[in-house]
Amino acid sequence: MEKATKLLFAIAAILLLAGLALAFFVAPQIVIQKNGQYLSVFSQKIFYFHVPVAWTSLLAFIVGAVFGALFLTKKERRYDFLSFASVELGFLFGVLVMWSGDIWTRSEWGTWWEWEPRLTTYLILMLLYSGYFVLRSAVSEESSKARLSAAYSVIASVTVPFTFFAIRIIPSVHPVVLSMDGVAMEPTMLVAMLVPVFGMTCLYIALLLMRYQTLLIGEEVDYLKNELGG
Amino acid sequence: MSGVKQIAAIIKKDMIAELRTKEMVVSMFLFVLLVMVAFKYAFGDSDNFSTYAGGLLWVAFLFTALLGLNRSFVHEKDEGCLEGLLLAPVDRPNIFFGKMIGNIIFISVVEIITIPIYIVLFKLSIQGSIALFAGAIILSNIGISTVGTLLSTVSINTKMRDMLLPLIFLPVILPVLAAAVVSTGGIMAGVTGEKLVNVFSAMKLLIAYDILFLLVAYALYDFVIGE
Repeated sequence: MEKATKLLFAIAAILLLAGLALAFFVAPQIVIQKNGQYLSVFSQKIFYFHVPVAWTSLLAFIVGAVFGALFLTKKERRYDFLSFASVELGFLFGVLVMWSGDIWTRSEWGTWWEWEPRLTTYLILMLLYSGYFVLRSAVSEESSKARLSAAYSVIASVTVPFTFFAIRIIPSVHPVVLSMDGVAMEPTMLVAMLVPVFGMTCLYIALLLMRYQTLLIGEEVDYLKNELGG
Repeated sequence: MSGVKQIAAIIKKDMIAELRTKEMVVSMFLFVLLVMVAFKYAFGDSDNFSTYAGGLLWVAFLFTALLGLNRSFVHEKDEGCLEGLLLAPVDRPNIFFGKMIGNIIFISVVEIITIPIYIVLFKLSIQGSIALFAGAIILSNIGISTVGTLLSTVSINTKMRDMLLPLIFLPVILPVLAAAVVSTGGIMAGVTGEKLVNVFSAMKLLIAYDILFLLVAYALYDFVIGE
């Protein structure tokens, strides 16, 4: 497993660096028309970082819920470790999503925060998973910790699509600012987006495996400590 | 004992306990009144609350429900009743359904008393169909009680107990809050046309949420309540 982790880190590094190069040197600069003037939007480059981390964080939450459900059916400790590690990474990537999104929002819309559906969904998603960590820290017994947090990860993952739709039925006072669906993407832009998406996914898997191994080692250390009467 | 009888027995037990002490409904009712008075001052000297009608209603109800949901398992746990329930030959999901329906009843009783007071205090009116209004409230209550009962069982099994429940309950219930505000607010304002479509889509969302979370609770309750 260690070898696979290293290999994945290497692939992730190559793809992410290639992604950076593609984003800055290959993908065309976006030009928009504003008040009759043509403006080139450099801030759009953050898109090539923002989309990969957003995708990875959602993937990590879904994987976390899948391993949570597996733990509940199979009752094997390793599924709890994988579920926890994945939710943890999902949260970490989620912080990056909000951070990179915020920078873009500030430069593009002039505010740090807008109650726009996508942003709001993500904020609630992060609050939802913050509860996961509080829940984990509030249970001392290992087996109930695993059981309750696995159940919660399933509940949280079911909530996400509802949050997504619920926010969209509230009549919005804000005009539609940005709609990616309307923008046809240039082939080079698509490549510049997909390469870091794959890179980030590799990074996520590598980190997941690494975290999983540390959790296993942690368990072994605890076991040895108990053996020694500590 | 059949499933329905088991559920009925649990509901009956909760009702008898409540009728003897009346602590839950009375404290929930007082709390929701206090929240409404707090709203009056929070919004300053504004005299037109109709824009926020749905929002005021549901923020108050949600926190009140939270108060009741916390209690619903705390005394079971403290008096050792939960062990008794778990030892009794009752299916675990039936414990859930019993407690959930009990919670729906408590929340609904408080709402039935509060809504007229709320309408009078904030000079509001229900301009749309009353049946639709009641329907939206019942659908929201089912959602709140389903998720609330499931998560209060989770929180009661932790060290933090009632401290934890709001932290995990509120983010999960936010879709219900949003849909409940849109639907009841719209019905109270008597909207028509496109906005009425919005009301119906909010109610559809509530139905979907209720069904899905009932299934989730049914599937997970065994794991949540513990060995």
